Amino acid sequence: MPSAASYLLLNLCKPFSFRRLSPPPPRIHARRVHVSCAAPRGGSGGGRREAAPAGASKAKKRVVFFDAAPPVSQPGVEKAGSEKTAKEGGGGSAALALVRRATKRTLAVLSNLPLAISEMFAIAALMALGTVIDQGEAPSYYFEKFPEDNPVFGFITWRWILTPGFDHMFSSPVFLGLLALLAASLMACTYTTQLPMVKVARRWSFTHSGERIRKQEFADSLPRASIQDLGVILMGAGYEVFTKGTSLYAFKGLAGRYAPIGVHLAMLFIMAGATLSATGSFKGSVDVPQGLNFVIGDVMKPRGVLSVAPDVFNTEVHVNRFYMEYYDSGEVSQFYSDLSLFNLDGKEVMRKTIKVNDPLRYGGITIYQTDWGFSALQVKKNGEGPFNLAMAPLKLNGDKKLFGTFLPLEDQDSSNPNVKGISMLARDLQSIVLYDQEGKFVGVRRPSSKLPIEINGNEILIEDAIGSTGLDLKTDPGVPIVYAGFGALMLTTCISYLSHSQIWALQDGTTVVVGGKTNRAKLEFSEEMNRLLDKVPELIGADENVVDIKSTAT
Amino acid sequence: MLFATLEHILTHISFSTISIVITIHLITLLVRELRGLRDSSEKGMIVTFFSITGFLVSRWVSSGHFPLSNLYESLIFLSWALYILHTIPKIQNSKNDLSTITTPSTILTQGFATSGLLTEMHQSTILVPALQSQWLMMHVSMMLLSYATLLCGSLLSAALLIIRFRKDFDFFSKKKKKVFLKTFFFSEIEYLYAKRSPLKSTSFPAFPNYYKYQLTERLDSWSYRVISLGFTLLTMGILCGAVWANEAWGSYWNWDPKETWAFITWTIFAIYLHSRTNPNWKGTNSALVASIGFLIIWICYFGINLLGIGLHSYGSFILPSK
Repeated sequence: MPSAASYLLLNLCKPFSFRRLSPPPPRIHARRVHVSCAAPRGGSGGGRREAAPAGASKAKKRVVFFDAAPPVSQPGVEKAGSEKTAKEGGGGSAALALVRRATKRTLAVLSNLPLAISEMFAIAALMALGTVIDQGEAPSYYFEKFPEDNPVFGFITWRWILTPGFDHMFSSPVFLGLLALLAASLMACTYTTQLPMVKVARRWSFTHSGERIRKQEFADSLPRASIQDLGVILMGAGYEVFTKGTSLYAFKGLAGRYAPIGVHLAMLFIMAGATLSATGSFKGSVDVPQGLNFVIGDVMKPRGVLSVAPDVFNTEVHVNRFYMEYYDSGEVSQFYSDLSLFNLDGKEVMRKTIKVNDPLRYGGITIYQTDWGFSALQVKKNGEGPFNLAMAPLKLNGDKKLFGTFLPLEDQDSSNPNVKGISMLARDLQSIVLYDQEGKFVGVRRPSSKLPIEINGNEILIEDAIGSTGLDLKTDPGVPIVYAGFGALMLTTCISYLSHSQIWALQDGTTVVVGGKTNRAKLEFSEEMNRLLDKVPELIGADENVVDIKSTAT
Repeated sequence: MLFATLEHILTHISFSTISIVITIHLITLLVRELRGLRDSSEKGMIVTFFSITGFLVSRWVSSGHFPLSNLYESLIFLSWALYILHTIPKIQNSKNDLSTITTPSTILTQGFATSGLLTEMHQSTILVPALQSQWLMMHVSMMLLSYATLLCGSLLSAALLIIRFRKDFDFFSKKKKKVFLKTFFFSEIEYLYAKRSPLKSTSFPAFPNYYKYQLTERLDSWSYRVISLGFTLLTMGILCGAVWANEAWGSYWNWDPKETWAFITWTIFAIYLHSRTNPNWKGTNSALVASIGFLIIWICYFGINLLGIGLHSYGSFILPSK
């Protein structure tokens, strides 16, 4: 039925169009009726994922449920078996039939809702475990923390953590395997449950049985009313309304019925993209003092088997300048690195000042500002110099950055190991704290002030503080796919909030029998229906009037 | 200084108004006929709303950035979001039980925010470089809105559970023999009854549990709608965060504890939504999942901050004892 399908698509595009008063072409009407005859609408038969409106379908669902349930206890065996048969495939039609049956069974097992839910629970539990156990430490750390002679909770020793790879949970085979299983379930569910649901939703139709309408979740009958008035009111409320003779069918929010399929597909997209990211990306990080340069390819390390180095890895990056901005309170507000990119010929191909939250992108490579360091201090001693003093990172107060350097004052004799001199400490590039030979505090100088300081008879002038920028580099071919998945996921979850409502009505003499159902907003739906039905005008007059309407109705 | 005083006054106004509002709510719960009180509690909520909004705006003006940079501000924002949730059905003019959940939630979050535990965080802080992005507003506000929505939804589910279980306890005390069989039978009857009730919403006044049934049904439906909305917001919040992380940290997913717990929350509510598609699990089972989700949100929102680990440690605080 190409026309029915195309009509469906048409309506998918504009399920919310208001006041489409012109009724659809009669040709399609006829078809719709035909469809309805071919497939009597028994509640929402096919979709196990649907809300069941009637008790009859509950019993039916039970059967479906048990049909799929038995192999749950041995899904792994089932799966392995099917794979094996798939490998052996090609040995005659019997084997082919076996494969087909095995595939069908695997699909049935995978699309089983309890299985999918337990997979999600297991993944959630593993993730929680991954945040509880410290990740990525050396084995000795776990030996010490989970000793064998004094187990945590009486039984958890390091074996429990290291054997399944829970010290690196998010790349452990158990976790990744579960994710893969979930992806398989997603696909199977989309294929076996959601796509047939589309067909179910297509069984929209008129009904000529008042009994069936009265069995709906919401049902009402309006005495002395006209179905035409009801149709106009429903259109005003954003429904797509179809009438034929004495019966009426209206729906709204069909997209909400299809959106969950989109959600699943988007999840699969994200998973595929993430797999590509994990297998095909390069990562690197580098600490470059201001004024120096590096070649991108030297820094990058492949992360997976699919990582192929692009040509742009020949590009050379030059750090023109690294500087920081500060708040009035002295805390760092932002880091900046002025980077120039040169190609093999030495031509500058790009220049950009990057900062945190504003990376540089060139030919698939992204360069992030992530860290900083103190590279060197340019110092003039008694007008001589400037000397470049390398700054060493000192670890004193936990994570706070502290750098220090030392300017020897006496001539360095190899005979005298205890050289005395000036110590300089700095927390950032802004101010340097100076200590004299005895280790006593002398003063603080800013590199920009050009103000000399007198220490033990020497005039020290701090010319400049040279920072080094910490850059992270990466190429990630998975990002476009993941982003596409993100976009689709956002859109489809939003659409999924819509409720697909269907209304049937039948003119029965002077009475209009109305019934309807919706898949999500049940309370709102009945409220809306009551409100709309209140608006339907009551026909005061003879019954001929109604008969008249009936006979002139299309 | 002016702003600080203003903020101080505004938080105290909102806190005291909402305390009065919750008292009124309790009174109306016991004495149903007091119509005037109900209206005044609504007025009280409006006053609270304006003072919280005023607080947030003055924060925004005084600090120059969106007021979501630390836990205190985010808690205030959370109670603001709860208020928004309280208002939406009012605008649509539909009656529901949300306000009984939202009002106490607002007072609790606000009470906690203004309590002594977090006093040193009250002054607004500067933004660290990683937070200086347009994404801050998008990501954090989405996350907090979703927390507020999901908290409400899961509380509705928890209420449903409590009502259901209380009934079971009643049953327990009456007949002690073959309880399991009987409860099963009982629920079966109730199920049969449940099927019919939407059609004939008024013709069963004789059934003793009818009102209770209607209430649980309403709670179920409302919690489903609210959680669906929260789930949508959470999805958007997490995805915005992932895009932001790809700009700031160099990877869209880092398995940072906060991220992981947000993902766990997402998974739990995904389970909730899926469990609802099975008619046998609808109701008690899904409500149980949603109640687990309630705890998970608090771990995600607060527990991780308490530990102050990972990349999201901006909102962490040090307990006064240390």
